[in-house]
Amino acid sequence: MKGILKGILDFFSSLGLSSALLILLALLTYLGTIDQVDHGLFEAQKKYFESMVVWQQVGPLVVPLPGAYLVMVLLCVNLVLGGLVRIRKGWATVGVIVTHCGIILMMIAGLVKFKYCKEGHVTLYEGQAKSEFESYYDWELVVLEPTERGTVIEHPIEPTAVEHSKGDKGRTFDDPTLPFALQVTHYMRNCQMMPKGPMFSVDVPVVDGAFLREMPLEKETEQNVPGVYVTAIGRDGSRTDGIVWGGSNAPLRANLAGKAFGLDLRRQKFPMPFEVRLDKFTKEDHPRMAMAKVFSSDVTVRESNSTRAVKISMNEPLRDKGLVLYQASWGPSNARPGERLFSTLAVVSNPSDQWPLWSCLVIAVGLLTHFTRKLVRHVRLEGKKS
Amino acid sequence: MNLQIRILTTLLALLGCALPASAQTGKFTPHSVDLFEVLPVQDGGRIKPVSTFADFTLLRLSGRKSVTRGDDAKTHLRSTEWLMEQAFFPELAVDEPVFLVSDAAALDAIGLAHVDKKKRDRYTFRELEPGLNALFAKANEYSHIEPKERNSVQTQIVNLAEAVQIYDSLSGHLDLALVPAPQPEPKDAEWLTPEEVALRLTAPMFRDKLTEGQKQVAAGFSALQQRRDDPGAFENQLAAVSGQSIAMAQARGEYGKIPLERFYYRGQFLFYGQIVFILAFLFMAFSWMAPKAKLPYRGAALFATAGTALVITAIVIRCIIRNRPPVSTLYETVLFITGVSTLVALVAERITRQRLALSAAAVLGMVGVFIANGYESLDKKDTMPSLVAVLDTNFWLATHVTAITVGYSAGMLAAVLGSFYLIAKAFGFRRDQRTFYSGLGRMVYGVLCFGVIFSTVGTILGGIWANDSWGRFWGWDPKENGALLIVLSQLVILHARMGGYLKEHGVCAAAAAGGMVVAFSWFGVNLLGVGLHSYGFTSGIHNALWTYYGVQGGIVLLGTYGWWRERLRAAIKAEARGEMPSHSSGGTRDGGAAGGATI
Repeated sequence: MKGILKGILDFFSSLGLSSALLILLALLTYLGTIDQVDHGLFEAQKKYFESMVVWQQVGPLVVPLPGAYLVMVLLCVNLVLGGLVRIRKGWATVGVIVTHCGIILMMIAGLVKFKYCKEGHVTLYEGQAKSEFESYYDWELVVLEPTERGTVIEHPIEPTAVEHSKGDKGRTFDDPTLPFALQVTHYMRNCQMMPKGPMFSVDVPVVDGAFLREMPLEKETEQNVPGVYVTAIGRDGSRTDGIVWGGSNAPLRANLAGKAFGLDLRRQKFPMPFEVRLDKFTKEDHPRMAMAKVFSSDVTVRESNSTRAVKISMNEPLRDKGLVLYQASWGPSNARPGERLFSTLAVVSNPSDQWPLWSCLVIAVGLLTHFTRKLVRHVRLEGKKS
Repeated sequence: MNLQIRILTTLLALLGCALPASAQTGKFTPHSVDLFEVLPVQDGGRIKPVSTFADFTLLRLSGRKSVTRGDDAKTHLRSTEWLMEQAFFPELAVDEPVFLVSDAAALDAIGLAHVDKKKRDRYTFRELEPGLNALFAKANEYSHIEPKERNSVQTQIVNLAEAVQIYDSLSGHLDLALVPAPQPEPKDAEWLTPEEVALRLTAPMFRDKLTEGQKQVAAGFSALQQRRDDPGAFENQLAAVSGQSIAMAQARGEYGKIPLERFYYRGQFLFYGQIVFILAFLFMAFSWMAPKAKLPYRGAALFATAGTALVITAIVIRCIIRNRPPVSTLYETVLFITGVSTLVALVAERITRQRLALSAAAVLGMVGVFIANGYESLDKKDTMPSLVAVLDTNFWLATHVTAITVGYSAGMLAAVLGSFYLIAKAFGFRRDQRTFYSGLGRMVYGVLCFGVIFSTVGTILGGIWANDSWGRFWGWDPKENGALLIVLSQLVILHARMGGYLKEHGVCAAAAAGGMVVAFSWFGVNLLGVGLHSYGFTSGIHNALWTYYGVQGGIVLLGTYGWWRERLRAAIKAEARGEMPSHSSGGTRDGGAAGGATI
């Protein structure tokens, strides 16, 4: 038993495994880069870098490869066992150990970001204020419940749950505070809502003369517009069907249990712990050129009772309360002089925001220590030889 | 700093006097051409000398920075002189062969005869004139096709039509922003062309915003046209207006680097650098043929050092002109990589004195400067362009970009040294000198160690920059992936070497293959046309890149053959001695043997 354990430990801590995993990671990186030309970044990222297994087409064959996620997990194990636990400890290896610590810190930062990061944007016209940001890619289904006070209570369904509501059966969501359960079916990642004509048939339900037509995925994932079929099942067993499509201008309205409700499929929204108002957006071009030299947004950040003015520009984001706001884009791109502009600020909530910086410092110190020592030794040896 | 620049530019201006004087067309005095060259003009978002504008405009049209006339004497015109002729003597300029047609099939397509011309030749405006209607009709049609989808004839027709438009815009008038913005206006305010000033003078709402200085400068430039037939009077008028224009630009602090930039381009550091590196290469070749002779070695060392000095001087002057760190464009990566790799090779030669690193310096210098000159000719654009907003940060350009480019340099140097090893082994060069190969192997390893520090730190710094500008540390963008591939390839080599999976020969083969990884990261990903690093996209280098992959791949295969042959020989010898061939053993971190043959 001990021999088996030692064998496993030897294998997972070996330099052979390190080399093999690094080669695999390089191969996946190359394939994932080339794949972006045809399928876009988002799809390539999902397929090669966030997966456990990749099914790679090689001519007529489909070859299974370990995904980068799996490779990186194994690399982390290998690094801890071989590069920290079992490595010889001494002055000769201190630089290597420090470097490995830095790399582990960076990989942990990547994992934390992958698991807990929220990304989106807030788009504001000059004078407009918002205290929430919306996702680029994730769509949530929301039941909108108007109250007597004129406000609206939102009952959101998580994007991942909506995405899993595929096929005829889909998924049923039952919020006890609502007078109905909601069955969501036929989720389509990219589709169009179209009227059903008499000259053709479709293999999805037709509701009020309309149906969802599945479309090929766009290369730029943010251009995909999803849709779902919904059935509201009343507590008395009554059923009301509808189609909710992300491209609609207004939520689907329905009278359920004697009350008006709305159903909306929209990009997921996240609250911000402060409100941001765009005071002024500035875009300066290089003289006599149509190339931007500077983009910046003068904003007012309001939290509780305090307000402060902040300038957000390229390479100079706003960091506050765990959120980072970046100058991302602007529009309308065809605006004439004097026309009202909007500014898009990318918003990221990433608990490991600054960890890569620390890891970089640690790695730099480790590599410099190790290789400087080697260089000094080498020069001394050469000196002695000559 | 300003004082330093002034002293440097004065020295350089003095040196500049030693440079060849302009050729004479007979229409302008040499001094007029010199005055015109250093006129400040706003173009491409910055203030530059007219000579730079003329150089790159002519390069765009004719693929050269000078015009060779079709007369019997084959007179050469400098770009500025051509520009002056274009502006003041358009009736003569129509006979200058300035339109480069790479393939006469483009002329066939527009029904233009090209008797007595080569397949690739230069044409005058007068020669093209009969086909202009057809040219613009076809160009209009082809402009609706995506550039990537156009065939070579369609691309040429669109490019030729654009060239004719540029030519036309400069014909008979000075359509250049030569009138400086007035003093109280902010830095980077727009300058005006003399014609724009004249136009504004006709509109009351704009007229009042013009200063007396602007009106005088514009009028001064307009008056040049009336004096064109009297070279002396033309020179006097030009001297007066250039004095006014320069004084206005100086008052705005926008003239200080103009003489330096003119000196930079007229100095042709890279042209001379290429000659010097070729000489270094030739001397090195003699040195290998006559190992005991000292002169070839010393000559190679001298020329390689001179070449490196020229490249580094060019980089330093560019930094001063741009007020930027050494690398901010793809073109500058070529210069920097050439400078760093040759410098590192020279230092390695100083330590080892085996002639190998010096040979690498000569090869890298020669190829690097050739690529830089080729890139400029291919791109045909100002090599000191204005930067997009995200790149407008000297901190990140100085840290991330410089570090990653040093990493590229080390990767390329290791690839060249590794290739030397493989080629030498394959051809049995110094077969019995074990120290020769072990020294070369150590050098490759040393350069890889040097490279891995900069590649790794540079790549992570890039992530930190991306985190500050785009909101994410890592996005699997092609350019990021390219950098990661270099780091991974270098880590694979170092780990496999430590584990005993790669020996000297294997390390050199892997380092040689690493050259392809660096080339992919450096240029290959730019050809993909996807990702956030759109400012680095390029085209037209596809064939050159694949040729390099082919050559480098061939060298690696040759190395594998050399390894196989060596093993075969060892096996035969061992058999003759009645022994088993020895197997190198792979190891683990704690020294355990993994077994298996290694290279």
